[in-house]
Order: sequence, then C-alpha cells, then structure tokens
Amino acid sequence: MKKQSFYVKMTVNSLIRRRSRMFVALLAVAIGATVLSGLITIYYDIPRQMGQEFRSYGANLILVSSGGESTLSAAGVESAKPYFPPASVVGIAPYRYEAVKINEQPFMAAGTDLEEAKKTSPYWLVNGRWPAGAGEALIGQEVADTIRLLPGSTFALTGTDADGAGFSRDFSVSGVLQTGGTEEAFIFMSLADLGEMAGDSGRIDIVECSVSASEASLNQIAAEITSHVPDITPRLVKRVTQSEGTVLAKLQSLVYLVTVVVLLLTMICVATTMMAVVAERRKEIGLKKALGAANSAIVREFLGEGLILGGLGGLLGVALGFVFAQTVSMNVFNRPITFQPFLIPATLAASVAVTGLACLLPVRNAANVDPAIVLRGE
Amino acid sequence: MGMLELIDISKIYGSVNALRNIGLTVDQGEWLAIMGPSGSGKTTLMNIVGCMDKPSQGAVILDGVNISKESAKNLTAIRRDKIGLIFQQFHLISYLTALENVMAAQYYHSMPDEGEALEALARVGLKDRAKHFPSQLSGGEQQRVCIARALINYPMLILADEPTGNLDEANEGIVLEILRKLHQDGSTIIVVTHDPEVAEQAQRTVVLEHGRIARIIRNTSPGPGAGPSL
Repeated sequence: MKKQSFYVKMTVNSLIRRRSRMFVALLAVAIGATVLSGLITIYYDIPRQMGQEFRSYGANLILVSSGGESTLSAAGVESAKPYFPPASVVGIAPYRYEAVKINEQPFMAAGTDLEEAKKTSPYWLVNGRWPAGAGEALIGQEVADTIRLLPGSTFALTGTDADGAGFSRDFSVSGVLQTGGTEEAFIFMSLADLGEMAGDSGRIDIVECSVSASEASLNQIAAEITSHVPDITPRLVKRVTQSEGTVLAKLQSLVYLVTVVVLLLTMICVATTMMAVVAERRKEIGLKKALGAANSAIVREFLGEGLILGGLGGLLGVALGFVFAQTVSMNVFNRPITFQPFLIPATLAASVAVTGLACLLPVRNAANVDPAIVLRGE
Repeated sequence: MGMLELIDISKIYGSVNALRNIGLTVDQGEWLAIMGPSGSGKTTLMNIVGCMDKPSQGAVILDGVNISKESAKNLTAIRRDKIGLIFQQFHLISYLTALENVMAAQYYHSMPDEGEALEALARVGLKDRAKHFPSQLSGGEQQRVCIARALINYPMLILADEPTGNLDEANEGIVLEILRKLHQDGSTIIVVTHDPEVAEQAQRTVVLEHGRIARIIRNTSPGPGAGPSL
C-alpha cells in the first residue's frame, strides 16, 4: 500500500468511525456553506429580481426627438430598438398626443401600442378592461368624472387632423384608468385609431422604455443610441434609475455583510468543534508522536480531515443553498431564482478555505501535544 | 560500551527531583526490568530513554549518540527508527483495524507494507484477527497488537511500560512468552513493572526509590528462554 493511500484511508476512517462528532462539524460547515451559497445566489440575483420589481414603477428611459424636429418617426424608433438587450427589455411603448374634444370640452388623446403600454406601466389600475380593438378607448378617471362616462359608454371624439380638416369618431369606453397621476386626464387608444383620425400616421412624440438594467447599463444603451441614431435623444428617468441604484446597492451591502458574518460564525463553529476533536484525541496524537510521527504528519492528518469536512460541507451547501435561495426568492419576490453555476466551485473553495483557516489553531494545538502523555496514562 | 548508557542523569521539575544521578548501562540483547513504587521516577526514566523527554543533567548515549542534547525533531526521528514502545493501556487507534494499527507505525517510519504487518501479527498469534477493530479484541489481544506494532520497524530497543498491568493471568503468560521469544531473537528489552513475576523474567532488575537507584538485582534464574544470566 502506498503512503498516500494509507494517509487517505486513515483520514477517511477517522471521520467515518467517529461519526457523531464529525457530523456536528459537518453540520456546522454545511449550514455555513448553505447560507453562504444561498446569500451569494440572492446577492447576484437581487439586481434581476429587484430590477423586475422596479419595472412596476414605469419607464426608466425615454426617447425624444433631437434638435429641431419635435416628433419622432416610427422608422427612427425601430432603428433605436437593436441597441436594447432583448433579454432586458420589459416594454417599449411609443406615444403620440393629439388635442381632441368631447362635447366641446378639450382633452388630450394618447395613441400608443397598448400591449407595450401594459408592460411599461404595470401599475395602471384599469376599471373595466384594456381596449381590445379599433374604436375602443381607455379613459382616465378625470375624463370619466368630467363627462360622466363608464365602461361600456360611447362618446364622440372630435378634432382637427394634420391637414386642418375636422374629424369626428365614435368610441366606446373599454375601461377607466386610475394612476393617481397625470395619465388620468388622457384618453388612450391605439396608435392606428389616432393616426386614422388625425392623419400623419407614423408620427410619434415620445417613446417610453422600461428596461431591466442598472443605471450604468442604461447609460451605456443611451450612449449607443445617441452615437448611432442622431435623430433620437435618449433620456434616463433619473428619479427611477437613481433610487433603483441606491436601493440595490444598500440591499447588496446588507447581504454582503450578512455573508461575512456567516463566514465568521462558521469559522468559529468549525474551529470550536475541531478544538474539541483535538482535545478528545490528545492521547491518540500523543501515541502517533510516540510512534515517531513528525509534527508535519499530525498537521497533515488534521488538515486533511478538516478539508474533507470543508469539501463535503461545501457540496451540501451548494445544493441546500440553492433550495434556501429559491425559497427566499419565491417568498420575497414571488419569482424563481437563477442558478449560478460558478457557485459550485466558489462555495467549495470558500468552504474549504474557511474550514482550513478554522483548523489552523486546533491543528497547532495538536502538533504541540506531548508524546509522553501515553506513558503517563492521562 | 553498552547499547544504552545513562551517565549521571537527573531530572528536575521545579523543586521536585524526579531522578537523581542515575547511572546505568544496558547491553545489546539484555532484558532489564525497572521496578519501584509510584513516584519513584520509573515513568520519567522511561520518557528519557524513550526520547520523549530530556534529562536536566547528565547524558544519555543510545547506540553511541548522545541524545540528551538533541532537538525535539531529532528525538522524534530517533524514537521512530530505534525504539519500539509497548504500553500498559495498549493505545491502539480505535478507528483502525489491528492490521492498520501495525501499518500506522510503518507509515510514520517509512512505507506501509501489509504483508510485513500481517507477518508481525502472525508472530504474536493474531493473524486471523487482523481485520478486527480494537473494540472487537480482548485486552490480551490488544496488547499483542501493540507488541506487533512495536516490533514492526525492527527497533534496537523495546520499551515496555507495565505490559501486563491490564491483563489477566492467562494473557500475562502469553505476553511474557512473546517477550521471551523476542529476547531469544536478540532484542534488547526494558520493562517497567510493579509485578515481581514479570521482573523475574529479566536478567537484571533496577529498583528505583525517590528518583535514585536503590539497588540492582541480578536474576539468577530468569524465566525460561530469558537467555544467559550476566
């Protein structure tokens, strides 16, 4: 039998045949690794999870016309879209505004891609339903109150088209919109309906974009659009992006701090257990030294045991940590978490390193055991 | 010159003189017994001869080398290469089988060799118990494993601390028989014992009292096979 094989046999046997003590140590490492891997998973998933949450608060980037032109063209908007990472885009809703009248009272009509508007403004509360086809409109609460309209009511919309000719068209109210904001003074309909009435189809005043990305990424997207699509000026909605960045940074710092504390606690727990193991095995260590074991051999054996514990605990931690992170994510964010493959080597390495560090003091104590204790019959 | 020479050694712990001016020579192939009441300095003497402690004064010459000034690291190497230890409490490693316990001594010495370790167990009549763990062995069997472990690296000196102290009469007889055979084969043996019957097996008995050699008894009729008397 080779020396290395005997070393492995001795180390493994030592762990297996003293299961109860080692189980406690393994539990300490595994719990530490579980919390560590779970928290790192959450740490990396927070921007995605919270980003999704922040998207509920509306657009974080708007596109407006550059220079002299006050409006955008549909073609111009299309040329800007490739600069958004497809996976991060929650919605891109173009808006066109026209002054209209109902019963001679002035209002503002907004034509938009209603499906995209739903995505960029998930916080809109619609009493009734969203418009499903031509001739249907979503009216703001303020409008509904002014002219006493309810879902299902019809009304005639009048105005002047791009050529200066008057138009009049009947619409039915599909729903009444409550936002608590200026949107309640608008009448929302599809871009096609508005273009058909007011002419100049394809004209867009502003594009609201909701992108699940950090402020830095949004700035990068804006820079690319600015340099490649000169007709369009992208603007970050600062109040959304900055508060999002601040909250994310604070949450990540919190998770980071908790992770460090957990690592320290794990280290203390493993060190305590290993110290107890060393104390229990003083006689065995003394015997080995009496048999001629050098201090380095004793250190190797205890470190070997510690590292096996670290490795096993780390493996358990990877699996249990994902379950832990998944549970937290489902309960807090109501969304499944994404598994980070790099966590397998990272948790293993951290677990082995923490266990190794925690073993240093106990191992030094082990190396200092006096071999003469085996003759003293202590 | 003997294989082991203790030249005027003393060991002082604070204000306690555990050993005082001990002078003793042990020849190659000799079987020596050390007796004495508790606190007489037997264990201290064993620790010094077994390279687990150093004298406060005097010199210990083992195989021509003064080991009393050696570093702890060198003492470990000397103990590994030249000394085989037999303990009253056997001190087997609980998570290793009998065979692996013997191989552990080989592992720390040079290279584990299963065949050779089995042979050593066969010499003490325990080949068929090789795969048993210490908890599955009787006290006598554990002591025989301990002896096999002490012999495995062919030490020049076997130190036995109360080798029969924890054994019944039958097992005491078996262990003494093994020691006799070892002595016949030329091993040098030092046995610390309280038991006059065990001491009688040796060629000489050194009696310690209060850290001094009180007397040395030359056994005129050592046990069967104990070799020529000096």
